[in-house]
Amino acid sequence: MTDIVAGAAAEEAQTPEAPPRVVKMRGFGIGERSTLPISLTTGVIIVAAWWGASEARLVPHLFLPTPREVVNAAISFYQDGYANASMWEHIGASLMRILTAAAIAIALGTPIGLLMGLSRWTKGVFDTPIEFYWPLPPLAYLPLMIIWLGIGELSKITLLTMAMFAPIALSAQAGVRSVSIERVHAALSLGATRFQLLREIVLPSALPEILTGIRIALAVGWGTLVAAELIAATRGIGHFIMSASQFLATDFVFVGIGIIAACAFAFSFAMRLIERWLVPWKGQS
Amino acid sequence: MLRVDKATVYFAARDGRPVHALDSVSLDIPDGGFVVALGTSGCGKSTLLNAMAGFLPLSSGSITLNGHAVLGPAKARGVVFQKDTLLPWKTVAENVALGLKFAGIGRKERHERALDLLGLVGLQDFAAAAPYELSGGMRQRVGIARALAPEPDILLMDEPFGALDSMTREAMQELLVDVWAHTRKQIFFITHSIEEALFLGTQLIVMSPRPGRIVARFDLSFVNAFARDRDARAIKTAPEFAALREEIRAIVHQNEALRIAAQ
Repeated sequence: MTDIVAGAAAEEAQTPEAPPRVVKMRGFGIGERSTLPISLTTGVIIVAAWWGASEARLVPHLFLPTPREVVNAAISFYQDGYANASMWEHIGASLMRILTAAAIAIALGTPIGLLMGLSRWTKGVFDTPIEFYWPLPPLAYLPLMIIWLGIGELSKITLLTMAMFAPIALSAQAGVRSVSIERVHAALSLGATRFQLLREIVLPSALPEILTGIRIALAVGWGTLVAAELIAATRGIGHFIMSASQFLATDFVFVGIGIIAACAFAFSFAMRLIERWLVPWKGQS
Repeated sequence: MLRVDKATVYFAARDGRPVHALDSVSLDIPDGGFVVALGTSGCGKSTLLNAMAGFLPLSSGSITLNGHAVLGPAKARGVVFQKDTLLPWKTVAENVALGLKFAGIGRKERHERALDLLGLVGLQDFAAAAPYELSGGMRQRVGIARALAPEPDILLMDEPFGALDSMTREAMQELLVDVWAHTRKQIFFITHSIEEALFLGTQLIVMSPRPGRIVARFDLSFVNAFARDRDARAIKTAPEFAALREEIRAIVHQNEALRIAAQ
């Protein structure tokens, strides 16, 4: 017995240099290697194709401006503004609307959604209106908003809040359903009151799903925002795109689209950071 | 003392017919008593524990703790679950202190008491860790410390070591005996391991399914021998331990055979 162990040790000592071949289970799907180089290459190819097609005039110039023109339009927008307002005023107006609406939708949607998951009465009361209006395209009821609430900020923020409220409330409700009964039993047998149960167990358990709901709501919000600003606004990125299109200024339309994409991407990135900070345990239990 | 008097439970099956899960079970757990329930799956032992914990109302019969009727979950009856139910957004110490937080005890005091309890289960060095950083056995020890924190009269344990490997399991049994000897809580412990049941309890009930009922009761003293001599191997290899193990195995198998024959 001792000899065998000593023999194995001696054999190991003879080849200290050979690096071990590290193995792991054969995977499925995309695996763990980063997709970033592929994504970057794709982006470069798209821009190159755009540049080639527009410079070579393969497409009428009115339909597809060159990258150079779009950059110039962006510089002009940055330096001189557009339609009696600076670039920051346009962006600021849009951000103010979407953030205000998001704050209201989160403040209302989270508690109402949690209550919908906990109380039969709340669910019964809110299910009907939410299920009725949530599948409607916001543009369909925008005219009513304008007739009822005017063409000012109120109608736009109400429209956005309605569009963002439903996904937040529905995901909070789904979050409550995902709370394990064992955790609830454990808390109750430790003496939790109903309110303590809600704050210490139900809300944190539902938090990952609420954050997912907020992410969806923000994406819905950007879509709705542009629609709202297309119809009645004097400032905002949606309004900027609309008025540029009326002059067939496709280069400015491209700039507007780029700004919305950048804002939406920044929001999505911020949500991911918030998720990592608030629910570091996600996927761990 | 916890007293179960003619506890009977019917569940509704999928088709709505009542299923007889627990049939007139009576049981006393005296102060300082360590009662182990042994039985195959579906024998009603978890149903009995859920009723004791107050998670499940009885169809008929009653459960009282120190003369007070059990009407719902309460901190006088601590529960340790089979699946760990620690909260991943709290540290180990915060998990242990959860019941103290519910009772309105201040942050500093509950942290100190959590550290004491973690010391009792040998985890004082892991107070600041996240539950998902611990092994299965360590998580169950946290679960025991958490259940002890509000100073319950009785600890209800639903196959707490069922998911552990057999080496960890034996260490956990010895730890539990130490905790019991130290706190002198009443304990109701569910297992389907005959050896575990014999080693741990001062009283053993053997249960049989359809409907769940108690088919045999034994008074045991192996746990006292371990608390005194601390030699688990000597106890588990002693002839009287082996004889009782075979006797109980025969009872379990006989009931199983009767049940299969009846089907």
